[in-house]
Amino acid sequence: MSIARSLRQIAIVIRKELKDSLRDRRALWSIVFSVSIGPIIIGFMMNRVADRQREAERVRVPVVGMQYAPALVDWLRQQSGVDVVEGPKNPEEAVRNQQEELAIIIPKDFARTFNQSKPVVVQIIADSSRNDARPIVERVRRLLQQYGAEIGSLRLIARGISPAASQPILLEDIEVSTAQQRAAQILTFIPMFIIMAGFVGGMQIATDSTAGERERGSLEPLLVNPAPRLVFVGGKWLAAALAAMASTALTTVLCANLPRFLPLEEMGIRFRIGPEHITGIIAAALPMCLFSAALQSAVATLARSFKEAQSYMGVLVLMPMIPGVLGALYPLGNAPWMYATPMLGPYVLLTNVLGGQTPAMNAFLISAGISIVTAAILVRITATLFESERIIFGR
Amino acid sequence: MIRVDQLRKQFGTVTAVNGVSFTAENGAITGLLGPNGAGKTTTLRMLYAVMRPDTGSIKVDEVDAIADPHEAQGRLGVLPDGFGLYPRLTAREHLEYFGELHGISGAALRQRTKELLDLLDMNAIADRRTAGFSHGERTKVGLARALVHSPQNVLLDEPTNGLDVMSTRAVRTIVRRLKEEGRCVLFSSHVMQEVSALCDSIVVIAHGQVVARGTPDELRRHTGHDNLEDAFVALASADRGGRE
Repeated sequence: MSIARSLRQIAIVIRKELKDSLRDRRALWSIVFSVSIGPIIIGFMMNRVADRQREAERVRVPVVGMQYAPALVDWLRQQSGVDVVEGPKNPEEAVRNQQEELAIIIPKDFARTFNQSKPVVVQIIADSSRNDARPIVERVRRLLQQYGAEIGSLRLIARGISPAASQPILLEDIEVSTAQQRAAQILTFIPMFIIMAGFVGGMQIATDSTAGERERGSLEPLLVNPAPRLVFVGGKWLAAALAAMASTALTTVLCANLPRFLPLEEMGIRFRIGPEHITGIIAAALPMCLFSAALQSAVATLARSFKEAQSYMGVLVLMPMIPGVLGALYPLGNAPWMYATPMLGPYVLLTNVLGGQTPAMNAFLISAGISIVTAAILVRITATLFESERIIFGR
Repeated sequence: MIRVDQLRKQFGTVTAVNGVSFTAENGAITGLLGPNGAGKTTTLRMLYAVMRPDTGSIKVDEVDAIADPHEAQGRLGVLPDGFGLYPRLTAREHLEYFGELHGISGAALRQRTKELLDLLDMNAIADRRTAGFSHGERTKVGLARALVHSPQNVLLDEPTNGLDVMSTRAVRTIVRRLKEEGRCVLFSSHVMQEVSALCDSIVVIAHGQVVARGTPDELRRHTGHDNLEDAFVALASADRGGRE
């Protein structure tokens, strides 16, 4: 049995399995689902960030007692993105009922107290349990403090004192969590979705061509064909891996095209997957498809029935989510052992590639090497299982 | 030609096949006759190398099927018991898939596929997916698929089980034709009439052992029963009596 013949037979098995699965609606849907779910969720979250940003830029400030402090109201109106409106009759009630996000109350004696250079009590009514209102309340609070500071400075100057004397410490806020930062946080999900797409994309072929083939009774006639078991297992594995790779590539393309469908650029969210990223994504994710397809084939072969195989797949699919969820909770860092761990290696590589820092060539090689070696071991094990009468005849 | 010598196969504490020996000649139909659970299917599975015998030897055209299973498989056409098809592939694609795995391709494969589709009168269903096929249609696909590489030796495990009269007749026609072509046909069945009508030589198996072999006439003479069915019952129960 020559190697050339075995390779030809592997190609025949791959072609048959791919043709078969292209006609399998369940397989196609699982690929469509795995490919599109990531971009859809990311697009949705990006839009939320953009909406929030727009909301925070325009603030509606209901003011009760506008007539008592026309200068303050005028000043507020001059600030960009601020709409000053007449406050509700019962401001506390309105904020509690979430009709308003906040309300400002200017006291009747504003002008008198102000002219005596005494502090005027201006109330901000807010519900601190409301997270969505917090940035708006913060913004209004800052605006009022700023107005107070400006007036204070003018008063000092009028008394011949440098305003600087009243400010022993000058606080400067440097806000790191900009919209871009939030967008970057969303981007941390992309590696997980790419890995998920690869994992789910090959799953249906991996189960249908092993557990499914046995359950239909077509495995026994197949094994009567003159070829080593490794040929059949190898063909089935590679067919599943190719489907996984196609899913990975499609998800990557969809993610790269997200900016076309979302007005991200004009909102100041920088998000781009360019050709230089795509090379890195492919180098990081495609070898992993070989591993995930091999793992799925091995597990499905061990299962006693197609149903059992499917329920195992339901558990396996949590695997690629582990690094994603951990990565969202703690920064994973770049320890060398990570590259040598299946699933985690590709995840860390993808995170780095998308974060704009291309990892060293060695990291790619180690990760790909580990995926290929573990895949080869798993395929070897599956081929051994295919030799077992207990497995073939499902005893 | 298939020569089997002293085959034994044990599953746990159950001995499914216990020292089976027989020869199936070229240009002849050999019937493997026995009640359910006698060890027919296990014997055939060892012949077509999806099971390994514990002891014994199998020769397919002088090829040692245990030492070189793939060479032996290349010379065998097999219709396993309770075989399955791919519901999303057409009948033609089934033939092409197995033909390609046997190393046939291109014009030769198309020609051979056409021959078999004609022979089994399958042209009407050739390009339909097998998902909704009747039992008879499925058996035809399985049979054509087993013959796509023109094997010298053909193993059929209860091929007429559950078939209607028309399909049974089609199977018999093919089997006779294979014999005329000088091929070796090994045919298992638990149906007496089938075997006596078709086979040149019969091997009766009971409890994993060969209890008799010969032409239908020889078996009748051997047991002293004119009716082959009575002969069979006598043989199958004689063995049990002998063991107990």
